[in-house]
Amino acid sequence: MASEGRAQARHYVRSVPGAGYLLVVLILVFALFGEGFATLPNFLNIGVQGSVLLLLALPMTLIIMSEGLDLSMGAVLSLAGVVLASMLMNGRPLWVALAAAAGVGLAFGVANGVLVVTLGLPPFVATLGTLGIAQGLALVLTGGQSVVGIGDALPALYESRIAGVPFSIVIALLAFLAFWWMLSRTRVGSYVSALGGNREALTLAGVHVDLFHIGIYAAGGLMSGCAALLLTGRMSAGHPTAAIGLEFDAVAAVIVGGTSFERGNGTLAGTLIGVLTIGVLRNGLNVLSVPSSLQVASIGVLVIAALVVDSTIAALGRPAGSRP
Amino acid sequence: MRGISKAFPGVRALDDVSLSVDAGTVQVLLGQNGAGKSTLIRILCGAHHPDAGEILIDGRGVRLHSPADARRLGIAVIFQEFSLVPYLNLAQNIYLGREPRGRIPGTIDHRKMHEEARRLLDGLGLDADTRTPAHELGVAQQQVVEIAKALSQNARILVMDEPTAALSDREIARLFDRIRALKQSGVAIVYISHRLQEIFEIGDRITVLRDGRNVASLAPSETSVDGLVRLMVGRQVTTTWRERFCDTPGDVVLEVRDLHAANGVRAAAVDVNAGEVVGLAGLVGAGRTELARAIFGADRVVSGTVRVAGRPLARGPAGAVRAGVALAPENRKTEGLALMRSVQDNVLVAGLQTLFPAGWYRAAIAARAAADVISRLRIATPSPARLVRFLSGGNQQKVVVGKWLIAGSRLFIFDEPTRGIDVGAKAELYGVIDGLVAGGAAVLMISSELPEVVAVCDRAYVMRDRAIVGELKRRGSRSDNILTEENILRMAMHHGQ
Amino acid sequence: MKSLAYRLVAVALMATGLALTTEAFFTGPNLFNVLRQASLTFLIASGLTLTILTAGLDLSVGANVGLSACMAATVMKSSGSIALGVATGLAFGAVVGLANGLMVTALKLPPFIATYGMMWTLNGITYWFMAGETIHGFSPGFRALGSGSWPAPIPPYWPGVPVPIYVMAAFLAAGGVLTRYTTFGHEVYAIGANREAARLSGIPVRARLNLVYTLSGAMAGLAAIVYLARLNSAEADIGEALTLPAIAAVLIGGTSLFGGVGSLTGTLVGALTLTLVVNGMNLRAVDANWQPLVTGAIVLLAVWIDVMTRQRAEARV
Repeated sequence: MASEGRAQARHYVRSVPGAGYLLVVLILVFALFGEGFATLPNFLNIGVQGSVLLLLALPMTLIIMSEGLDLSMGAVLSLAGVVLASMLMNGRPLWVALAAAAGVGLAFGVANGVLVVTLGLPPFVATLGTLGIAQGLALVLTGGQSVVGIGDALPALYESRIAGVPFSIVIALLAFLAFWWMLSRTRVGSYVSALGGNREALTLAGVHVDLFHIGIYAAGGLMSGCAALLLTGRMSAGHPTAAIGLEFDAVAAVIVGGTSFERGNGTLAGTLIGVLTIGVLRNGLNVLSVPSSLQVASIGVLVIAALVVDSTIAALGRPAGSRP
Repeated sequence: MRGISKAFPGVRALDDVSLSVDAGTVQVLLGQNGAGKSTLIRILCGAHHPDAGEILIDGRGVRLHSPADARRLGIAVIFQEFSLVPYLNLAQNIYLGREPRGRIPGTIDHRKMHEEARRLLDGLGLDADTRTPAHELGVAQQQVVEIAKALSQNARILVMDEPTAALSDREIARLFDRIRALKQSGVAIVYISHRLQEIFEIGDRITVLRDGRNVASLAPSETSVDGLVRLMVGRQVTTTWRERFCDTPGDVVLEVRDLHAANGVRAAAVDVNAGEVVGLAGLVGAGRTELARAIFGADRVVSGTVRVAGRPLARGPAGAVRAGVALAPENRKTEGLALMRSVQDNVLVAGLQTLFPAGWYRAAIAARAAADVISRLRIATPSPARLVRFLSGGNQQKVVVGKWLIAGSRLFIFDEPTRGIDVGAKAELYGVIDGLVAGGAAVLMISSELPEVVAVCDRAYVMRDRAIVGELKRRGSRSDNILTEENILRMAMHHGQ
Repeated sequence: MKSLAYRLVAVALMATGLALTTEAFFTGPNLFNVLRQASLTFLIASGLTLTILTAGLDLSVGANVGLSACMAATVMKSSGSIALGVATGLAFGAVVGLANGLMVTALKLPPFIATYGMMWTLNGITYWFMAGETIHGFSPGFRALGSGSWPAPIPPYWPGVPVPIYVMAAFLAAGGVLTRYTTFGHEVYAIGANREAARLSGIPVRARLNLVYTLSGAMAGLAAIVYLARLNSAEADIGEALTLPAIAAVLIGGTSLFGGVGSLTGTLVGALTLTLVVNGMNLRAVDANWQPLVTGAIVLLAVWIDVMTRQRAEARV
């Protein structure tokens, strides 16, 4: 019906997070002041650089929507990358090595889920602990050194293009589509929002809430493991500290993209915009010769600003002084 | 429901209570706070198990082990706190957990879900788009979605708990239209409300509970507002718990004028004098706790004045405490006590600035002050170091009151001070209050127990819909201005315009 | 008090175990080394203890130490004045702490995410500020603060007590006074045990929280000075590995993440425990790469015990 279509359109427009406008502003600013920023090769570069981040940010969206956090993703990704590289170095076929990396990620994801949901540990501390464990394992397995000599198969795959689009962007897009399909076409979307917005309602509806909640963390771990494919392909090696701190970018991307911690609202489109925003910010600052350390600092400020905006919006929506 | 009895530790909530509803009728469940209504409803929806009695649907006995059982049997309850997920749209909310399946396994048939939701909402007369997120709807509309959710589960018995509490007059009218439509389709409705006017408008039968027992079951035509009030209140109280009521109040301690607060309190004016116990009566939701919190500074004041001993209060609880105001909150466990700390620490927490103005804590002085309070109030604890969570309810409440003794407060605001406390502790608490006002302090006491208000207070304000609607005194010229349970109840309920 | 006794016994048992199985453990230099390292961990963890006591958290302590150390080092080198450098380090740490506090009280952000953002911001600024360089070579007088011993060692009879131990003892005493003998300390515990009840009892919660976070930052600044003296150099990555052990020390020491329970003494015991574990691993030539793993596992264990204790307590209310 026409009115439903219009309502739908209006709904989509309203759901574009403020980050969308921020992204446009950033692109314009960098295009103006940065030489070589607004070129196709550079935009492709942004996409390629951001593809690993997107793989992490997608499940992080779900986790944050359910009032959680996963700080271990970077360490788990590094560990998975090391595992992947080691197996390749030992001559195993690519799909076996990838399965191993994904398995490692999945194991940590399930562990996180059990710690947070079953044992009831606060998410940031629990994942801080698994961060240490994953990091430690990676260091121990490699003795702090890179794992090189992984052969040509993976780097070649990484450098390849499918219909002119770089491999990593294709993978990232596939992941995005998979998550989008899950969230919009299956019950997962409703359940995730309910986890954050009104967990009681989900329990009353007779859903296995705990199992589902653990599954979200498991997805986070699994994606961290799968992202090793891209990371190791890009570096042509596995390094134990390669992805340390990437979870911070993922958290930043999700928050900047408009997902809140406690209300169950959040969109994958918003996270995508958040990932692009962070990518553009880093790339643009690079072009302007701003050192990467300051880039990190500026992302930190951006996250805090996004949090403040989010909590201001929440406070405006609630009548002051009211009690539940 | 027949012969339902239920006891909780220390209190007999229900004693051989029966409630019956016919299909297509509205049965009103009426009773004061604590009469047993919510316990009965919770048994009906499967959250509690009765100690005795049975539940029959269509004449056949059923066993309800859990809320899921109740829902499967067609019982749906709409509480005051809604169970909607704010960022899901209406159709998603209605079908949460029961989404219609699509062709590909695991997917949802969105079109069917929205079509069905549309059908339900149209049947209830709500024209909101099924794709709007729930949080964008007003309270009245959210309520309709809740009803739709219940209907989608083929509810045959619908329980509504205070459904009109947050609705405007026009929304109430539309709700009643919907209820009439539901009656036509054969749904049996149990309707809990305090609003007597509405009861006469929408109810087919009225069941009155009092003190956990059935008192009456009659048709609206057989009674009147006054009749209902008398049934709810029962016997007149003759005993009093005060040694001596206050004939000559002292100076003004609290003066509130035209107070508007962010929590909804409107145009409140209160006077409390030294030596008086002033009651704040009304029904649940009338705004008494909100008024207390606004006076204390716990909630934001929008306009108006609050003066203690002639001086306006500084902002926030800290300012109130400094001026000598004390608050014993309604939820003593979550707002009045630190359960994981000792009796001594709890008793001292409000008086730290008074005892040690320079900021240096001296254990000996602290211990002595705490021991003094413990003995004055006769707090039963093996030692001051015992964690508060191990104390009985009555003793916990004494700790809540006791922490203000050290602070030297002159105005005590008590919010439901004797709730959940056994008779002996209650008497002791009244003695404490007596002692406080005898010493020149002033007390403002919120209570939902009408006999208590009448027996303990010198005067009482009655609140309704977040505003003060009247004041009752012990002695007066007109019979309907005297402090009696009937008068309180009459003022507290909707009684004509 | 009981639980503190258990933890002390555990430390004693560990020490005994190590003494019996590892030769190099029970020597003067090694023992004092353990104490010195524990003191350093304790200094960072003490401010963190205060924030956790209020049911909050400061994830940025490590990064704070790093940046404060680099700032102090820079000022010391360029101005030649130790006092100025020390003042800079302390002041900077305190300012960062205050910023954290304001984010929690004024902006009402959840502490863990606010300090997480601050951590990365500080990290970035530190790396940018140092621009890959290292500052080293401070005056011997200053270095004595971290590496010196007093009275001086008389080998082989007297190994000398490391100076950081005195600093640690001083701050343990000061902290003990603060938490037990000031109204501020009692208010901190009250806020942690039940923030709303504390507010409704007239405690100015926001002002107290700001002070707590500022103190936490100042302690990080102080720890930065001592670290600087010990390492005799400042690099951008000083603070990175410090946060996790600090959190571990606080949790092992019995301070609950839920607030209102715990003590500085407990944190010291926790720091000792952690240092013993690391020391044991080092003495037995275990690859240093195992340390983050072990610390992570210990943190998980400590949190789990915290949660279990809390659940059992709440069930009996």
